[in-house]
Amino acid sequence: MTIRDQATPSQRAAAWLAAVAALAVAPAALAGTPINERAPADSAGKVEVSNTAGSVAVTAWTRNEIEVTGTLGTGTERLEFSSVDQLTRVKVILPKQSSRVEATHLVVKVPAGSSVSVNTVSADVTAQGVRGSQRLQSVSGDIQTEAAAEDVECKTVSGNVMVTGSGQRGLLTVTTVSGDATVSRVAGEVNGNTVSGNFAIAMGDTVRSRLRSTSGDLGLKGRLAPDARIDFESISGSVRLDLAGPVGAEFDISSFNGDIRNCFGPKAVRTSEYAPGSELRFREGQGSGRVRIKTLNGDISVCNK
Amino acid sequence: MTTERKDTAANLDEALERLPPTIAPGRDLWPQIDARLEPRGARHPRRWFWPAAAAVLLVVGSSLITARLLQPEAPTVASQPAPSPDAGAAFAAAAFGPGQTVGPTYDAAREELVRSLSARLERLPPDARRQLEKNLAELHRASAEINAALELSPGDPLLEELLLNAYQDELAVLANVNQLAGGNGAGATNDPTRMQL
Repeated sequence: MTIRDQATPSQRAAAWLAAVAALAVAPAALAGTPINERAPADSAGKVEVSNTAGSVAVTAWTRNEIEVTGTLGTGTERLEFSSVDQLTRVKVILPKQSSRVEATHLVVKVPAGSSVSVNTVSADVTAQGVRGSQRLQSVSGDIQTEAAAEDVECKTVSGNVMVTGSGQRGLLTVTTVSGDATVSRVAGEVNGNTVSGNFAIAMGDTVRSRLRSTSGDLGLKGRLAPDARIDFESISGSVRLDLAGPVGAEFDISSFNGDIRNCFGPKAVRTSEYAPGSELRFREGQGSGRVRIKTLNGDISVCNK
Repeated sequence: MTTERKDTAANLDEALERLPPTIAPGRDLWPQIDARLEPRGARHPRRWFWPAAAAVLLVVGSSLITARLLQPEAPTVASQPAPSPDAGAAFAAAAFGPGQTVGPTYDAAREELVRSLSARLERLPPDARRQLEKNLAELHRASAEINAALELSPGDPLLEELLLNAYQDELAVLANVNQLAGGNGAGATNDPTRMQL
């Protein structure tokens, strides 16, 4: 009688599980070629990364060098890694003819002051701790990053965007077709444009913000700077503006078919006796800020909270 | 009144008395008359008819553009010769309220972007491509809706501003997707089915 014959049902189950796990892990282990590249870099240089499918994770560190690790997907031609003067390029090269290319996962460590540019198709993009400017683009991958004082631009077709700021003033631009955007703890200027994505933005001091959508909902919570300029526009998406602290601004709000709700007091009036349309114009406080909101069908809400 | 006139009047009275109180027509004329009359609705079109018709035309036109834009292209599309100048005829001129168009410059820019995007669409992941199709239709629907509203309120500054921006947004979307689909490593491949996206 063998040991196997003597195994209890629970031991046999454990053995089967181990075998199945080994089979599951084996392809993964063979799936990608490990990447390990490193080069000296300027503390405020420029880094360009491009990948098609998989992921790109950019992390800032204190060293003046760039390190690329991760796995190169099976079927990929090669990884192009070059560093000349202040520009470092990391690019996943796909072959011209291939039946299948697996996802590539890149982990890129860069000097914190670097300016970073990332382009992907379906690969998700994350960036952490980068203090230089960021230009992050993906067709369908999600983008998640932290914003500092430098400009940040995020652009997708269907991917979602998430930006977390540090409270420092900067310029953030988010453009999607259908992707949603969630922005928090940013300050300064935020501009956004989408067709059907929903944008939710929580800001500190808001100097300027221009948001536009076709059917996506737009929402911004923030504190108006004394000379703030807010300009929101939507066709059928609803617009919500929640303002914190003392508000000093002139409001110009109008909608063709949507309802206008105003917590500051004045009510919207009809623009015509015979056609739809209502508008609301009033001044709140002493500041020279301007708030302008226009919709076709979307409802509008303006409140102080 | 003379005696002769009195007799004539009496004769007339008698003749009238002999007439039947009603005379039925030889044939029923109303069915023919009724058939020749225009329907009441057609003689008095409602206010919403023309805006609705314009909206339908725009939606149909836009759908045709979208269908053309998203039509699967052969892999050799990039090497095909540039379309002839007449290709622009396939695009409906973008309307701007009653009887107005945005203009040939806009139409040409849109056509150029659509043509360029057609060659790059195959590089998009299927889901992104579907999303793009859906959202371009959404943009067209929005433009049609504003145009219909402009029929009701010609010259409304809010509607004109929204419509102008809607057209600009359409160009911006086309330009952005062109750039996203052609500006990175994705350009190295021609066959999206071989990628795990």
